[in-house]
Amino acid sequence: MSNFDIALAVPVDARAGAEGTRIDLDDVCRYFVVGDTTVKALDRVNLHVDDAAFVVVLGASGSGKTTLLNLIGALDAATSGTVRLAGTELTTASRAQRTRIRRHTVSFIFQSFNLFPGLTAAENVQFGADVAGRRDADAVARDVLEQVGLGARGDHFAHQLSGGEQQRVAIARALATGNPILLADEPTGELDFRTGVQILELLRAQAESGKTVLVVTHNREISRVADRVIELSSGHIVADGPPVGGRAAIDDLRW
Amino acid sequence: MSTRGLWLRWSWRDLRRRWAQVFAIALVIALGTGTYAGLLSTGAWRTQSNDASFARLHVHDLRISLGEGTTVAEGTLARLARGISHADALTGVRERLIVPTQVAGPRGLLVPGEVVGSATGPATAVDTVSRSAGRALTAGDDGRSVVVLERQFARKNHLPSAGTLRLSGGSVVRYVGQGQSPEYFLVSGRQGALPFLSQRSFGVLFTTLHNAQALTGAPGRVNDLVLTTRPGATDLVAAELRRALASAAPALTREVTTRADVGAYRVLYEDIKGDEQLWRVIALLILVGAAFASFNLTSRIVEAQRREIGVGMALGVPARKLAIRPLLFGGEVALLGVVAGIGVGVLIGIPLRSMFTDMLPLPVWRTPFQWGPFAQAAALGFLLPLLAVAWPVWRAVRVQPVDAIRVGHLTGRSSGLARLARRIPLPGRSYRQVPVRNVLRTPRRTVLTTLGIAAAIATLVTMLGFLDSFNATLDNSEQDLLRSAPDRVTVSLRTLQPTTGPTVSAVRELPEVSAVTPGLMLGTSARHDGKSVDLVTEVLGADAPWQPHVVDGAASGGLVLARKAASDLHVRVGDTITFEHPQATPAGLRTVSSSITVAGLHPNPMRVFAYLDAATARAFGLAGVTNLLTVTPSTGTSPAQVQRALLGIPQVGSAQAASTMTAGMRGSLREFLGILTIAAVITLLLALLIAFNTSSIGMDERSREHATMLAFGLPARAVLGMAVTESAVIGVFSTVLGVIGGYWLLTWLTATTVADVLPEIGVLVSVAGDTLAIALGLGVVTVALAPLLTARKLRHLNIPSTLRVVE
Repeated sequence: MSNFDIALAVPVDARAGAEGTRIDLDDVCRYFVVGDTTVKALDRVNLHVDDAAFVVVLGASGSGKTTLLNLIGALDAATSGTVRLAGTELTTASRAQRTRIRRHTVSFIFQSFNLFPGLTAAENVQFGADVAGRRDADAVARDVLEQVGLGARGDHFAHQLSGGEQQRVAIARALATGNPILLADEPTGELDFRTGVQILELLRAQAESGKTVLVVTHNREISRVADRVIELSSGHIVADGPPVGGRAAIDDLRW
Repeated sequence: MSTRGLWLRWSWRDLRRRWAQVFAIALVIALGTGTYAGLLSTGAWRTQSNDASFARLHVHDLRISLGEGTTVAEGTLARLARGISHADALTGVRERLIVPTQVAGPRGLLVPGEVVGSATGPATAVDTVSRSAGRALTAGDDGRSVVVLERQFARKNHLPSAGTLRLSGGSVVRYVGQGQSPEYFLVSGRQGALPFLSQRSFGVLFTTLHNAQALTGAPGRVNDLVLTTRPGATDLVAAELRRALASAAPALTREVTTRADVGAYRVLYEDIKGDEQLWRVIALLILVGAAFASFNLTSRIVEAQRREIGVGMALGVPARKLAIRPLLFGGEVALLGVVAGIGVGVLIGIPLRSMFTDMLPLPVWRTPFQWGPFAQAAALGFLLPLLAVAWPVWRAVRVQPVDAIRVGHLTGRSSGLARLARRIPLPGRSYRQVPVRNVLRTPRRTVLTTLGIAAAIATLVTMLGFLDSFNATLDNSEQDLLRSAPDRVTVSLRTLQPTTGPTVSAVRELPEVSAVTPGLMLGTSARHDGKSVDLVTEVLGADAPWQPHVVDGAASGGLVLARKAASDLHVRVGDTITFEHPQATPAGLRTVSSSITVAGLHPNPMRVFAYLDAATARAFGLAGVTNLLTVTPSTGTSPAQVQRALLGIPQVGSAQAASTMTAGMRGSLREFLGILTIAAVITLLLALLIAFNTSSIGMDERSREHATMLAFGLPARAVLGMAVTESAVIGVFSTVLGVIGGYWLLTWLTATTVADVLPEIGVLVSVAGDTLAIALGLGVVTVALAPLLTARKLRHLNIPSTLRVVE
């Protein structure tokens, strides 16, 4: 299999559906108090994602894009407004409820992969399935690892894999949960162009299979392959719509 | 802002950011150095206190003691001493009469003891009696039944400062005060040379010579002389005394001994050396545990600065300047630890001081602050964290700057030994593998943490093991002594009596007594191949209700020795040894040397016990006399009732139930428990601190892994559970290592230190189930639960900021 031929097989149990992939933010504000200063990371943001889609949240450093991701991922709580995920309101949710949401609704993919160094690639992927309570977690892990083209590297530890391979394992871990919403924070940030493109292809394929994929990036080029681009600046949404010039093919990307 | 000020401010911020961990490391160092200093100060305290106490009460330099039951006319011994050619070297001369007796008091008190009557007079006093309660004896007390009671005996039996007591033969005495005399700072009793017999069970009464003569029915008689000499003249005077005695009374059984032969003197000073070795081992173990811990923890904190060191290298900062910040950090932690260590040492000194003054109640106690041990401890406590910092700094500045700066996935080096664990997957979910993988992933850290905790556990096992071993030894001895006729009472008579005489008949006729078996108890010694062992040899008739259990050889045809005695003399069954023993002569008893065969060995761990059959003893000219009666109580009578009944018979020196023979030593062991308790608390605290700090730093190092797990929806309690499991695995390794190490140390110390300080006892090395349970509780349970102290930190972990990596 060449670097660009990633197997895009039928995804595992996506639990997809309009309700399961829905994201709703209404008048959301997130302020941080730092000493005497109040930093408005997000200010009166309204955002709705109805169907499964590949959504890119674009913005420069400090624009609030990561804060937005953290609110959607139930890692943070809004100062005001409401956040609903797959129909469940997060704003008033307890810590235990948030944990459950992260377990069964959203899955994260991080810029620096955050694989567990003491577990092999297969075990890292299985972790996702185990936490989500999936039966036959090891079989699920093997399947998903094959899907991302790393079936033969399952027994390797993180430090034995390249950056691109590690990110593919991280994606596999998120996929193994079977959750309908994937949140990726600068997933290609630490990768070279070719590897970054492979990752985008994987994520795009998940959106096409019925999941909502939200990618946060500062790289405008990546937004060209999105179904929808939400641009943030100083905590406000300044643009929300299809990419300028229409959606491009992944092969056309250059950065 | 000066550069120096910048470095100081930076290192202060480093300290503040990790204040809890810094405080814990400093406390670990403080415990190690403070315990070291505190324990090793006690040796100097005891030496100074011994010196002052013996000097204040004018302990004798030489002593002439006549054989048991032998007396001479008052004045004989003093004249003999003043008649030697170097009599001008004598500074103090006192004749005495020392007679064994039973002492009965309130609340059923009935114990063996002795009356010590000293001549009074204008000359320099020797072996004087200090007053600690009530009043001292005056000239007006001479000729009356008035005594001063030994202070520790009174205290431990809760006797008032004045009262009355009954002695053997029914005499009633009034004690007007309590006091101490040098030979009785520690009581060892007259029956054999068992050291550390509890003062609770041996009552010494001090009185004037004439009072003692009246009380014991020996008017005008003495059996003891104590002398002080000018410095440097003791050996010369001792030699002249021996010649004078041999010339004047060759048939007399007597002994010339020096100050070093005083049981209390020997034990009090030798004990210091032995104890110091023990304390040094324990203190070093605790210090080593603290060293491993502070090395491990400080180096991990500095490793966290690796990236900043790499940035510095990339900016062209020379390595020596890069080292300033971590070295400052290490130095500040070290200083904190040392200063805290002084405080810990002083704090530990308070209960130690109290315990020693309670256990060894000398008239003078000196406990000045010991700069020596504190300086040693401070030097060690300061160097260790600095070395701990130097190592990772040295490593960090040796790598290429780009490697030091790497972040995220690029920092991964190896999986350590985790790949080995991969071959043995644990059942259950994937994250159940994490604890064991984490332990194996960083083998150096795991080993250092394990060694630190193991050192603490080994210390605990060693100390508690000492108690277990002594208890097991005493159990063994008791088992041997009570194998048959457990109710028997052993009665020692003041002097040799005819077996058909009135004393023996009086005992037989007591209604509380069912049978009486006469025997002999002789102070003897055995020599072989340059080695010498003091023995108390019992001559038992064939009809005695109790006979020694012989494990090798036979019970007759020679001497039956303890296995320990045989081992110390390097003899086996069938070998011939030199045996010093009393022999009857027309003039009385004299000590002679004979050759005797080792007929058998008995298993009692008390080396001092030896046995001869009656036929062999007949050769000593001692047929038909007795000084030891084995009394069997009549049906329905207890040993205590027999002891009470014997009180009315004048010639009875002591009556002891077989079942209480080891009670004295058990009492002494209980007093020692206090010191071990302090050391146990310190080791518990140390292990907990090490475990807490390891968990805390581990939590910091793995914060991104934990944040990732929490981001995936794993509950915090599951993450905490993994940390607890990881800690428990380390706890198991540490406990196994600690128990093995502690047992080895116990065995080694028993064979060396204890054998030197207590040669009379063949201590059986033993570790009780309770001790193992405590080690397990400390090593596994406490260590495993330490991560729970970081639960709050985990629950309040800021997941988003932890997951972000600064680009």
